[in-house]
Parts: sequence; structure tokens; C-alpha cells
Amino acid sequence: MAFDLTIKFAGEGGEGVISAGDFTMRAATYLGLEVVTFKSFPAEIKGGYALSQVRMSDEKILSQGDGFQILFAFNGEAYEVNKPLLKPGTVLVWDGPEGGDFEPEFDWLEKQGVIAYAVPMSKLAKEEVGAYITKNMVALGAASELFNIPIDVYKQQIISKFSKKGQDVVDLNFKALDAGINWVKNNIKKVDPYRLPERRPQKDVIILEGNEAIALGAAVAGCKVFAAYPITPATTVGNYLSEIILKANGYVYQAEDEISSMAIVIGASFSGVKAMTATSGPGISLMQELIGLASMTEIPCVVVDVQRGGPSTGMPTKHDQADLYAAAIGGHGDGQRIVIAPTNVEENFYLTIEAFNLAERYQCPVLFLTDASLSLRAEAISTPKIKEIQSRLINRPLITKDMDVNLDELLRYKVTDTGISPMLAPEVSPKPYTATGLEHGEDSSPRTRPDVRVMMMEKRFRKLKNIEDENQHLLEWDLGDLQEGEKADISVIAWGLTASITKEAIQRLRKKGYKIAALYPKLLYPVPVKAIEKVASMSDIALVPEANYTGQFARFIRMYTDVKPVQYNIYRGEPFIPAEIEAKIEELVGSKVNA
Amino acid sequence: MSYQFIKLQEKLQPKDYRSNIEPTWCPGCGDFGVVSGLAKVFSEEQFDPTALTLVSGIGCSSRLPLWMNAFGMHTCHGRAIPAAVGARLAKPEIPVVVTAGDGDLFSIGMEHFPHAARKNFDLTVICMDNRMYALTKNQQSPTSRSGYKGSLTPYGNIEEPINTIAFAIACGATFVAQTYSGNPKHEAEILQAAVEHKGFSFVNILSPCPTFNKIDTFQYYKGRTIDINKELGHDPSDYVKAVELASHALDHDKDPNAKVPLGIFLKIEKPTFEDKVLALKQKYGASDNPDWDKILEKYRP
Ligand SMILES: Cc1ncc(C[n+]2csc(CCOP(=O)(O)OP(=O)(O)O)c2C)c(N)n1
Ligand code: SF4
Repeated sequence: MAFDLTIKFAGEGGEGVISAGDFTMRAATYLGLEVVTFKSFPAEIKGGYALSQVRMSDEKILSQGDGFQILFAFNGEAYEVNKPLLKPGTVLVWDGPEGGDFEPEFDWLEKQGVIAYAVPMSKLAKEEVGAYITKNMVALGAASELFNIPIDVYKQQIISKFSKKGQDVVDLNFKALDAGINWVKNNIKKVDPYRLPERRPQKDVIILEGNEAIALGAAVAGCKVFAAYPITPATTVGNYLSEIILKANGYVYQAEDEISSMAIVIGASFSGVKAMTATSGPGISLMQELIGLASMTEIPCVVVDVQRGGPSTGMPTKHDQADLYAAAIGGHGDGQRIVIAPTNVEENFYLTIEAFNLAERYQCPVLFLTDASLSLRAEAISTPKIKEIQSRLINRPLITKDMDVNLDELLRYKVTDTGISPMLAPEVSPKPYTATGLEHGEDSSPRTRPDVRVMMMEKRFRKLKNIEDENQHLLEWDLGDLQEGEKADISVIAWGLTASITKEAIQRLRKKGYKIAALYPKLLYPVPVKAIEKVASMSDIALVPEANYTGQFARFIRMYTDVKPVQYNIYRGEPFIPAEIEAKIEELVGSKVNA
Repeated sequence: MSYQFIKLQEKLQPKDYRSNIEPTWCPGCGDFGVVSGLAKVFSEEQFDPTALTLVSGIGCSSRLPLWMNAFGMHTCHGRAIPAAVGARLAKPEIPVVVTAGDGDLFSIGMEHFPHAARKNFDLTVICMDNRMYALTKNQQSPTSRSGYKGSLTPYGNIEEPINTIAFAIACGATFVAQTYSGNPKHEAEILQAAVEHKGFSFVNILSPCPTFNKIDTFQYYKGRTIDINKELGHDPSDYVKAVELASHALDHDKDPNAKVPLGIFLKIEKPTFEDKVLALKQKYGASDNPDWDKILEKYRP
């Protein structure tokens, strides 16, 4: 059995549960473990229920998991919310026996087989350390002592986070760690089996959060102008990028709104540089007209949408996969767009680079659909080989002044077999043109003649006609040990974060003897019709789990293919857990106990 | 000259800045004067048409880039300024001129003007002010005079117009002027000064629409204009005086004896946004090939 442990810190927003989780994630990474975090907090700055969960393993982790083995409940609400998840053998560390705001039901816990340790985090922080805000550090001291988490990493984290505030702040936090450690030493007899393993050889990894991975990807891809308006959960893409981009000769611009951001991106790209914006649902709604302009003028651009619960302001900090319609077909008129979606943090990095490549290659807007949970999820990924990545960057086919071209025949919107036309940009190209959102002829002058309209509509859509064939790498297949021609019990199609959760469910089901054909498309629109029809043809049932109400991708599948998928939708503001998808598949196929 | 825009070795003729697309404007439209004025100034400035960038929104006036031999962006209604800001962020060495209508700039595009102005982007923003919406066939605009009859207000406009000159000054524009497309000489002088100004320059060009607007006509302006610099001796570096003069810019709407002021209201020097970005990039050692190993170090466990 692989080592696989999940520790969850839960409490009130502002109590430091998020940094407790972050510190623990770093400690696990230091030991050479794989990590995946899951965080959730309210939209308000203080108050409300917040959680930070760290899953660690010595093998690759696909999802946040089904639950946890260790819960640090900072308050009564955290206890109540998580009570249903307290399984036999789980450990509850609670804020007691004095100073906390609750007392667990000991009889129930005992019957349930839950191990409860009392650590008076509030009391120790207030009375022994003298600062209530160090409550989370008391908890971490206790965690370190109880579960063999390397205290040096916690100390290192305290230094890097607080040394700017002065040595006394660092010392105060060290004192809180000690208070937690000593309490456990003097008062608790460990009866649970959970211990972090000894340190193993360091892997060559970097730790990235979802939005950090997008920012780094954009910088590596050569993005020079990033314009955005703050919106949860997309804001941190800009925050992280602003830490890198000046060095990489770019600029992060805070625009007056999303409309402006999108126009700036188009203006910058028209002028010859790579440009990107990042927003969330409400911002995408505002950008629609200009995304249409980018389609019509064939200007490459990347639009990141970190999805959150909608419609309207909805649930700004919560998970949802419901902007696919908006991303793919949200604009007016028929405009060509590409929509891609990453399934984990590593893909947030590599697919951001891919988004720029697709935009440059097909000269159109590329919408990058990630989500709130993925934006906060941290993973340790193999250190990217930047030079190698950069050697594969695609650049637009710019006509430059030193090329030998016939200027009279040089037409910005020239009709070609591929639909892709020569690109011109100020300063570098020998002939100017005007990019207009009006329908236009090959030379970019406005035209409304029916034949020109037909010719240009077809030219623009021709670019994307073979996008599926040309981008097989955007379709991840997982057929397990299915043999050629063998029938599967079920076919599963999943996208975004749901795909990585589905993968874990499928791995478990295969161990039970299920034959499953799975497709995880990163290219969502234009809909990869061939791959979907192929995976669906491998069984009688095609399941599409999605974290939205209407089943947006499932509906696209019905619209574009002959497949009639079974939908499985959740819309509670949290991602699926693997057990749910596992159970759904068992329900659809019937149980198999031949494992 | 203070700016480092791309220049030609030899001068082109004004006609060389015109495209071979025929303008679709009505005969007698005031906007023709803006095209010829700009072509003349671009020729004087020896701008390279393969670098110069013209940006517009939507409206009769906003078609202008299409009639010119230069790079052009004919964007969405109201979005000329941010598209131009994008161009400036991308390539600060290229001259960028915004040519848009009063509705485009001060109604649908209103949220963009104050920000580009206060940040002092090195842009020339030209409002082709016919004091109404023309392309949608005669509605009131934010600069329409009170009482103006449009298709949605047949009983007459009950609103007060925006004083665009005073507004631009209040927003922090560092160059603010007004001219009139019926006076080519004055217009060319003002446009040239605006283009040469380093920083956000705003020029309101009174540009009559003979098809719909039967009040703010060439006949109306004839003999009613006054040159605030030459005739009143206004010094554009005098901010307080500029505000005062601007406050009277629309007096002529109601007072038959009041003049229509033309000329440079304000011209002051301030660092541009682009200069500040450049300074930051220098400070942080910007490079297209930064030291990625060092950047990645930050993300190590
Ligand atoms: C989003 C959007 N709303 C409305 C319109 C319709 N529209 C086109 S031009 C225009 C007004 C133009 O007025 P102005 O900017 O003053 O330019 P003019 O035509 O007078 O030169 C309007 C409302 C549009 N094109 N786009
Ligand atoms: S309608 Fe008016 S503004 Fe439009 S082209 Fe005709 S005269 Fe000019």
C-alpha cells in the first residue's frame, strides 16, 4: 500500500487555517512526497468557514481525495461541518479541553472509532504565547509532534513569511510552535498510526498553485502585455505574473474594467506582441463583444477564465464548471473561438503555453477555462525545461520588411486553403492595413457583398476545421488494459478538474474488475467530435460528469455528435470527490466483485 | 522634438497618407476636414505609415482609419482608447492617434477616457464632435446642446451637454485644445501641436454633420469662433486660466453674443505612463531572455 495521508485544517476565515495547510504542504514536499491541496474560503475577508486540506503520498496524486485521516477543528462550526466525514480510525484534534468554543460528543466519537486529541490551541495561544493570532502555529507544533512533520520546515516557513515584520514576530511564532509541541509531549498519548515518513531523495520539483502556474506559463510563452481587472478567483494570476513579468520585459496593467482589459489585449496583439487577460464569469460576460472583435479581425489573444459559481455574482470563491457556453458560444454572430481546459496544476502551466501557441497558429481568441478549486490547488511538478519549451513556441507568420514580397499581392485577409493569412504588424511589416470588425474583403476594406461575406466566413471557420486532427495531444486517452476491439462496461468523458477526480475513481474501479474507456479532452471547442464518437462507441453507456447544472459539455456532445451521454451533475460549489464518480459508475454498470 | 517616434528620412505628400478606399461620408461632412488635416500633419511629421497607428471605435467619424494609409484598428463602439492603450503598452515607439466620435468617447466609451488621461498615456485623442449620433441616424449625444431634436427626443433634448474641454482638463489630460474642421489652417496647427505633445493630448474638433444636425452647422460657427491664444493671449501653461476659459466653452449655446473658443487651453509637462514603465523595466533588468533558473528558484520547495 502506498503512503496516502490527508490532513485537514478547518476553522474560521482569518484564523490561519490556510497558512497551516500551506506550511504542511511544504513540509510534505520537503520530505519528497507528492502533494495536492484543496482550499476553500468565504468571499469575505474575515469570518465564515474556511478549510485547507493537504493530501500527500509517495505516488502521483490525482485528486483531493474523498476525505481525510486527520482533522484539526479550530472551532465548533468546523467540527459540525466535518462530523459526517469522521470515519473509524480518523483523528480529530480539537480546541480543548479548555478555551475552545465547543466540545465534541465523546460517546458518539468512541462508538464511531474516532480518535480525539484535545489541544487547547486558543488557550495556549492566548495565555502561554500571549497572542491569539498564533493559534494556528500552536496547532502546527502539535501536528509536528503528533505526526512526525519536520519542525524545521515549519520554522523555515515562519522565517520566510514573518522575518520582514521583525525578529520578535518570528520568535512569537516559534514560541507558539513550542507550546503546541510541549502540550502534546506532556498530555497526549499517541494511539493513532499516522506518521510522516523519513525524508527521501529530493526530486527536481517546483511547487506551484494553479494560478501561479498560469502566470509562469504566460511569462515563459513570451506574454508581454497582461491587462486585467481584479476579480476572484482570477486576481492572483496577475499578482503572480507581476512578480516575474518586468524581468521578462513585459508589463502587468490594471485596467479600469474587463472591457478595457480585453481591448488592451487586442490592441497590444495587433501591435505585434503576445497578450493575455484573466478574469472570471462576470468579466467574461463583459468581454464578449471584444472577443468577437478578435475573431473578426483574426487577432491572436489568450483569455483566461477562472470559473466560479454563477450566474451573476454567484459564489465568488466556490467551484463551478459552468462557463463553457459563455466561453464557446457566448458572443453574438458566428465567431470562431478555441476553448481549452486544464485538468491539474501542471496543465495550468503547459496549457497556458499551448493557449498562446494555438492563438498564434490559428489567429483567433483562445479561451482557457480553469476553475476556483484549481486556482488554489498546489502541486509539486517536475521543474520545467524552459529552453526546450521555448524552442517549441509558435509565432505568427509575420511578413517583415526584409522579405521579398509583392506588396500589391500582400493581403492581410488573403483567402487561403488553410484559412490562415499573412500577418502584418506596425513597425515590422512593409504595408499597413486596418483591422476592422466590419465584414471585410481580403484587403481589409469593409464589404457587405454576399459573395465576399460567404468567402470570409468560410475562410475564418476553415482555420478550425481540422483542429482536432491537428492537435491530438489535446486529447488524453485512458483505455486501461482494454484490448483492441474489446467492449468496455462504460465510456467516460470528463474535462477540467473533474477529469483528474474521475481518473482516480476509474483507477479504483479497474482494480475491482471494471473495463472502462475514458477520454479527457483538453480541447473542448470546437468539440472534438471524432474522439468523442470513438470513445462512446466502445461501450453502451457514455457518462459525462460535470460540476454544473445543465451539463454544458454533455449538451455540446448531443449537439455535435450522435452520442447521447448520461449526465452526472453536481452544483454545490465544491468539486466532485472520487467516491461519488466511483459510485455513479457502479450504479450505471452494476456491481462487479470479481476483483 | 521630444518624442522618439519612428520617422521617415524623406517627406511623403499628404495624399500618400490616404488609402485607396473611398470615404463613405456624405458630401459636405465636417469629417473630411479632419482627414485632410491629419494627412497634412502626418506628412509634416514625416511619420512612417508602416508604423503609425490610428485607432477608432464605431460611428461615422470612426471610419476614418479606413480612409488612411497607416496601420488602423476600427474596434468596437467606445473601445478606441483602451485598444490604443494596448498599442502603446506593446510598442511605445509608435505614434498612436485615436479618432472617434463624441458619442463613442463620451457615452459608451466614457469609462476609459478619464483613466487614459490621468495616467498620461502618450496618445493623441481626437473627438470628431458633431454634437449628435450620426451613424444611427440622429439621436442626441452627450455633447448635444439642450433642446436638440433627435429621433428619440423629438420634443427636444432635456439634458445639459458635457463640456468636453473642462472635462478633459479635470481628468488630468496634459494637452487640451479645440479646433474646427471648417478652419483647415487652425486645425492643422492644433493637430500638429497635439501630436508633438508628449503625454495625453485631447483635441475636440467641431465637425458639423450637415445631414442631420441643422443647428451646429458651418454657418453657425462662421464668424463666431475666437482664437484664445492669438486673440485673447491665453498662455496654455496657465492651468487656472485654462480652467476658467474652459468653463465658458459652451456659453455660446445659450448666449448669442458668446464666442466659440478655439485654441490650446492647456499644455503642461508630466512624465508619461510609458516612461514610467520603461523606468521600471530598466530598474528590474528587463530582458526577453531573463535568467529562468533564477526565476524558478523562487518556486523550489
Ligand atoms: C455596442 C453598440 N451599441 C450601439 C451601437 C450603435 N451605434 C453605432 S454608431 C453609434 C453612435 C455614434 O455616434 P458618435 O460616436 O457621436 O459618432 P458619429 O456617427 O456621430 O460620428 C451607435 C449608438 C453599436 N455599434 N455598438
Ligand atoms: S451622417 Fe453626418 S456625420 Fe455621418 S457622414 Fe453624413 S454628414 Fe458626416
